[in-house]
Amino acid sequence: MKEYGTDIVAGVTPGKGGMKVHEIPVYDFVEEALQEHEVDAAISFVPARLAKDAALEAIDGGIRFLVVTTEGIPDQDVLTIINYAASEGITVLGPDTPGLISPGRCKLGVHPNRMFAEGRVGILSKSGALSYEVCRVLTENGIGQSTVVGIGGGPLWGLSQQTVLKMFQNDPETEVVVLLGEVGGTTEQDAAAFIERYMNKPVVSLIVGRTAPKGTQMGHAGAIIEGEEGTAESKIRTLRSAGSLIARSPTEIPEIIKTVGSVR
Amino acid sequence: MRLLEFQAKRLLSEYGVPIPKSVLAKSQDDLESLSFPVVLKAQVPVGGRGKAGAIRIATQLKEAVATTKELLNYNIKGYPVQAVLAEEQVEIKQELYLAVLIDKLTSLLLIMVSATGGVDIEEVARESPEKIVKKHLRPFVGLQDYIVRYLAKHIRLEDQLEGFRRIVNQVYSIFCDYDATLVEINPLAVTPSGLVVLDAKILLDDKAAYRHKDLFVKLQEEQKRAAKSGKTRAEQLAEERGITYVPLDGNVAIISDGAGTGMLTLDLTQDVGGQAANFCELGGLGGAESMLQALEVVNAAPHVKVILIGLIGGLTRMDEMADGILNYLEQHGKSKPLVIRMCGTKEEVGKARLRTAGIETFEDLETAVRVAVKLAEES
Repeated sequence: MKEYGTDIVAGVTPGKGGMKVHEIPVYDFVEEALQEHEVDAAISFVPARLAKDAALEAIDGGIRFLVVTTEGIPDQDVLTIINYAASEGITVLGPDTPGLISPGRCKLGVHPNRMFAEGRVGILSKSGALSYEVCRVLTENGIGQSTVVGIGGGPLWGLSQQTVLKMFQNDPETEVVVLLGEVGGTTEQDAAAFIERYMNKPVVSLIVGRTAPKGTQMGHAGAIIEGEEGTAESKIRTLRSAGSLIARSPTEIPEIIKTVGSVR
Repeated sequence: MRLLEFQAKRLLSEYGVPIPKSVLAKSQDDLESLSFPVVLKAQVPVGGRGKAGAIRIATQLKEAVATTKELLNYNIKGYPVQAVLAEEQVEIKQELYLAVLIDKLTSLLLIMVSATGGVDIEEVARESPEKIVKKHLRPFVGLQDYIVRYLAKHIRLEDQLEGFRRIVNQVYSIFCDYDATLVEINPLAVTPSGLVVLDAKILLDDKAAYRHKDLFVKLQEEQKRAAKSGKTRAEQLAEERGITYVPLDGNVAIISDGAGTGMLTLDLTQDVGGQAANFCELGGLGGAESMLQALEVVNAAPHVKVILIGLIGGLTRMDEMADGILNYLEQHGKSKPLVIRMCGTKEEVGKARLRTAGIETFEDLETAVRVAVKLAEES
């Protein structure tokens, strides 16, 4: 992240206060770090069992934007994090997310740099790897990205698909939005409702798991087809009728984007 | 983890929720302790037991023994019946529905009740959703009495308010205490002696198993006997190693380093006319060891002809993935043909190591998929 240009000013690890890592000072508590530095955002790599404590400490300490990368946090802990953040007016991205990247400017995450290039396409994805895959194809085709947001593998999300769509709608640097979804749950249906009512920027959607069996968890905690609404077909149908363009593979996305405008 | 009915009822009963007098019918002696008629219920972790003929009534002991034996030979949706719950039959005046769950769209707890519970609740939800009364529970406030009274009024249960209040509070406590993601009582029966739980579904959050170790171990021990039959060697290996592995019918084995790209690879394989043999993703695991183990898992499935490894790591490091692949080949001498797509963190090192061993990698996933499917067809 530091190499990419992100201004990392402090780290927090209980018991490691006073140390330095790559010249960056480490503190015992978030509060102590915030007394010494001005901070816009924080990213947490704390293991699942301690993730709630760390997130609540960050929110309590005054962090305004928090990325929680951890996978496997108990659902009721995630509820506590999301609801506490909401009550304090704080934004949480994740959990189970690679974070976000604005190519060429800033990275708050673990993305492999070379897949990304500066541009005007906004990407939101449940899966980290899928967003790398799609951005690699876009970059190879000369199409850069404004910001790439991983919302996480679910089944609970701090920032929802719908909220991120809204952010892209309001972002002057984004001209086209790519929504990368997957089987399970009903959030894509929710996103479709938003697209239909509010989006005036083109949206291209790719939903993976078309061939996934029902009732089986496909890696992500949220990716399990329960009932008709959770299938890829149902999501694709709803998104299409809401006005989204549909891609069936990453390589179709640049072709579709080229048809809707001259995005670079 | 989905609890079997008898496990769910035991948990409810520990919290004081009324359930019918019952035993797990292992022998005739067990059944003798009950008053007849009894309801005999096959214990399997799937719904639709009634419609599968796996819930039966016996009016006297001899019949109960015979029916129990018969049920123990049943196989319901792939699950062999390994236990039968025998319950004293109660007089039902009305069947209600009660559930506490996590509402994923709002990130709030949701409590739902209906005056028309029973086997057709899904139809009620579809056809007349207004018959299901819902209330979100506010964070840091939780279940308050006004919510209980509101629900009781809307299902016209005010004359049973005391009993209803107790049960709703007990169910809510179980939900919170045991990291449940769903506690569903259906039906909650109105009987001459008050409210009684006739069936219950409880889902506990596996991610929180470490907080309830003893309970999870006990539940798993009990369920082992009732587990789905015929687990393959590949499935057993995957389970032992904590690797995500879903067996499928085709012959192209797939290993991915992310869930999303894993599903994508599955879709692309089918799009070019191939059939995936499995879904297998390393997710947060990383490390050479997990790649080696994943290869052992997918190689254990006999119908596999080609193994497609699709990697695009962020956190996953390609040098480690390459080591895992090479370690596998060294330890096992051979593998089914490998088609590898490798890019991402430390890819130069990873590709170089594989090249030294004479293994070339692909840059593009769709090309790799096509090559793998073609190889599978030709072999």
